Amino acid sequence: MAGTVVGEGLSIEGDLSSDEEVVVHGNVRGKLTTTDQVSVASGGVVQADVSGATVSIAGQVTGDVTATERVDLQTGGRLVGDVKAARFTIADGASFKGNVDMEM
Amino acid sequence: MAAVSLIGRGTVVRGNVRGDGSLEIQGRVEGDVTVTGDVVLGEEAVVRGSITGAQLNIAGTVQGDLRGTESLLVERGARVVGDLTSPRIGVAPGALVRGTVRTDGEAPLATPVARRPGLTAQPLRAAAPAVRPAPVAAPKLEPVKAAPPPPPPPKVDAPLEEADSEEMESEPPSAPAAAAAAKAPPPVVPALGKHAKAKKKRRDG
Repeated sequence: MAGTVVGEGLSIEGDLSSDEEVVVHGNVRGKLTTTDQVSVASGGVVQADVSGATVSIAGQVTGDVTATERVDLQTGGRLVGDVKAARFTIADGASFKGNVDMEM
Repeated sequence: MAAVSLIGRGTVVRGNVRGDGSLEIQGRVEGDVTVTGDVVLGEEAVVRGSITGAQLNIAGTVQGDLRGTESLLVERGARVVGDLTSPRIGVAPGALVRGTVRTDGEAPLATPVARRPGLTAQPLRAAAPAVRPAPVAAPKLEPVKAAPPPPPPPKVDAPLEEADSEEMESEPPSAPAAAAAAKAPPPVVPALGKHAKAKKKRRDG
């Protein structure tokens, strides 16, 4: 069970910081920070800088993404922003616009 | 798809939360919460801001107004500083509420009518027991009380004083032995001090 779930239809405007897993099915606008995993599910929209241990994106993210471990841009995911992570995968069918920095 | 959202125990939101569906808050929100569905606020949750939802179930801490369009229940252990507004409001014993409570949209006439007979019945009940035993019991109690009180104080004081002197007299002999031990006096002195102070107060009073 995820620590924090932003459900479909829910939107958060402001900073969301956590030390547990965060799953976004809805909207987050502002800043999203956790020490654990971040999942932007298909249908989820994040207009914020995102940072976490691992960040997986199947929805839309506009903002810089920083991960201490890895970033996975999954099929159907859209990311506009810079990525800073030691590992970064872009799945077939994903769209990405931005810079990548893998020097951690 | 009434999505269920959860703000977990280790999560802090600084900003507003709004939207459709239900929301469970176990963490901390510094901002207003407005949803169309139900809101459950856990025991350790803290919200600084207003909460609006259909059915609110509050067990945590809220600094802000609560508005339940259907119902509002403040659970035991909850701490709410703010106004409560809902057609149905429940506040459990053990909950702390500081603010105005308003039940909107319900006819208030039904409850006052029901309460009036209760109010008249209470004085009757209260008067009846007072009439029955009070006069009988009072005289009995008074002499009983009157008789013993005068003697006890002097008697009590006298033995106490004697006891004091006895203690004082009896302890000095032990004191030399204790003095040799050097560590003995501290416990003896406070013990005496406490008794002596209490007795002095009684004598003075």
